[in-house]
Amino acid sequence: MMNILAVSINHHTAPVELREAFHLNSDEIKNLIHRVKEELFSEGLIISTCNRTELYGIPKDQKLDVLDIQNFIFKYKNNKEVKPENFQTFASSEAIKHLFKVISGIDSLLIGDNQIYHQVKEAFQTSEEMQFAGVLMKRIFDAATKTGKRAISETEISEGAVTVSYAAVQLIEKIFSSISKKSALIIGAGESGELAAKHLKDRGIGRLVITNRTLERAEKIARELDFETLPFNTFKEKMHEFDIILSATSADELIITKEDIRNTMKERNHTSLVLMDIAIPRDIDPSVKEIDYVFYHDIDSLNIIVEQNLSKRKFEIPRIEKIIDEEIDTFIGWYNSLEVAPTIKDLRDYFENIRAEEVGKNKNRFSTEDQEKVEIITKRIINKILHQPTVGLKKINDFGTTPEETAVKVNVLRDIFGINHNNKEEKE
Amino acid sequence: MSYTITILNVLLPLLYIGTFGIYAYDFWKGEKRFTNSKRVLLFLTLLFHVVYLLVRTIFLSHPPITNVFEIFTVLAFSISFSYFILELVTDIRGTGPFIIIISIIFQVISSLFINDITFVKEILRSNLLGVHVFSALVGYSGITISAVYGFLYLTLYKDIKLNKFGLIFNRLPNLEVLETLSYYSAVIGFILLTMAIVIGIIWLPKAFPNYSYTDPKLIGTFTVWALYGIGILSKTFGKWRGKKVVFLSIIGFVIAILSTMFTNFLSSSFHSFY
Repeated sequence: MMNILAVSINHHTAPVELREAFHLNSDEIKNLIHRVKEELFSEGLIISTCNRTELYGIPKDQKLDVLDIQNFIFKYKNNKEVKPENFQTFASSEAIKHLFKVISGIDSLLIGDNQIYHQVKEAFQTSEEMQFAGVLMKRIFDAATKTGKRAISETEISEGAVTVSYAAVQLIEKIFSSISKKSALIIGAGESGELAAKHLKDRGIGRLVITNRTLERAEKIARELDFETLPFNTFKEKMHEFDIILSATSADELIITKEDIRNTMKERNHTSLVLMDIAIPRDIDPSVKEIDYVFYHDIDSLNIIVEQNLSKRKFEIPRIEKIIDEEIDTFIGWYNSLEVAPTIKDLRDYFENIRAEEVGKNKNRFSTEDQEKVEIITKRIINKILHQPTVGLKKINDFGTTPEETAVKVNVLRDIFGINHNNKEEKE
Repeated sequence: MSYTITILNVLLPLLYIGTFGIYAYDFWKGEKRFTNSKRVLLFLTLLFHVVYLLVRTIFLSHPPITNVFEIFTVLAFSISFSYFILELVTDIRGTGPFIIIISIIFQVISSLFINDITFVKEILRSNLLGVHVFSALVGYSGITISAVYGFLYLTLYKDIKLNKFGLIFNRLPNLEVLETLSYYSAVIGFILLTMAIVIGIIWLPKAFPNYSYTDPKLIGTFTVWALYGIGILSKTFGKWRGKKVVFLSIIGFVIAILSTMFTNFLSSSFHSFY
């Protein structure tokens, strides 16, 4: 079986402080690849995101196991709080399976998060740049990206909003047909406001304006994302200009009253207005929802959408696991095909050596004329003996044999004839 | 020929029900498994319906517009055909079940009660009548579709306001699209209804010397026409929008249905032809 090992510290096994401690930026990853290449792996992969840091590799030394890799990481990061149980370890096809789960998003904290797909792809690119990806890792990369793509295209694992700010955008799109013709006002330049602004910009909002008590902060974000600002003390006078108002301030009291919205609606001639209140405590008087054509939603209602979408995504997991199993089978099938061809060659070499040795020992018993005949006859006998095993071995990959069965058959054959000298090293 | 008419008369409701079933399944499951096949089935249903209407016209020697049950089958066809065109133009495929079910109702009633009458009154053989009935039927299809989209608009509006994010929220197009579809269907319906009324006014004195402008059918049709006119003008000039226009569309549709039922089944109107 293939000798690939993986070690992971992730959101299943470690709290955020530990995950942060083991997080690696791109320079650290490159530095670690140098060290790992020297000490542990002939080829491999390092993934590090905010929710996981993982090492995959083909050991240089066959005796190396996952504990050695764990110890290596302990030493590298020199973190005393981390314990062995904060790591997940995988070997052989389980390591590949874990990677496929990661890239397809079903192992993510936010199930179906397709950002991980791009992060794994970047990690593979880094490995290639650092000459840390050989034949096997490249093949694993191809299989992993294929799995990730299939998960996205054949299932609904990435469908629907699973963050509050994105749910707000999904809701807005259920009210307005063309967001590019609409204008939005973001109140509050904190993290939530900024994230919502980014989402709206990504969806092509027509006009985006931000207001904040500290105008400098709003101006900074506006510069970064290229949109307008509005002084906080005058924003109420301009509210009627906006189809979408998203509030995310840290104010302790309501900043928009029902009367404000009533006046705004009059000035808007009662055209639809979407109010998204993603602040805690809330910024907008919830009773505004009683006004016709005002679509008011707070963090609780947006969370309903998020929960529904997460449930739908969880429902897709078995379908993705099926895709993963199919891709694992294909990959292991390919891997085992690497073993079948050398086995045929080794078997033929083994018999040929016996034949040549025996013929060599006894050739003086025959006349010069007969020696040639003996040579031909013994070769023919060997060919006849080996015909069926050769055909059988070739068939192993062709006729619905599972990868595990292939590996077992190849290994049994090698054991029986004592040709178990390892050619895996050549392969890897 | 008569045998073909009988077979198609039984087959059509089944075809509409089958098409509705596939549209409803896709709407319910949201898997888009039958995205293209449901459209093909709708096309085949409409094709069979065209054959049925043609065979009736040839065999009975008059277009199928001489009694209310013939009108119903044409209306069933016209509604689904209008939806088919709308689906092709807009590529909005999720609203099919709500429209096709109206065709099922009209077609089932028609199939149950339709008679193969070969003799028709002379006045029903007029060419003007053909244009009058055709424009009225397409007009009524327009207001039917407008009312359905109006109803869907109100349902989605209510669901969004009440934080109900279920099937309606997940499957229907957005509010603005539903409002636009309802509005444009109403405009098309209104224009064709205007045509039907104008032709009717020209043709009426010639065909029925004893007609009356107080006839329930005429009052009903004028009321529907006036309601749609008010709604369309108000929306066009920016005074009304959303719920108000949609309400008007639904009320117009209900009056049209009630007027048809009253005229044909309850009262003695010159507009009853069977």
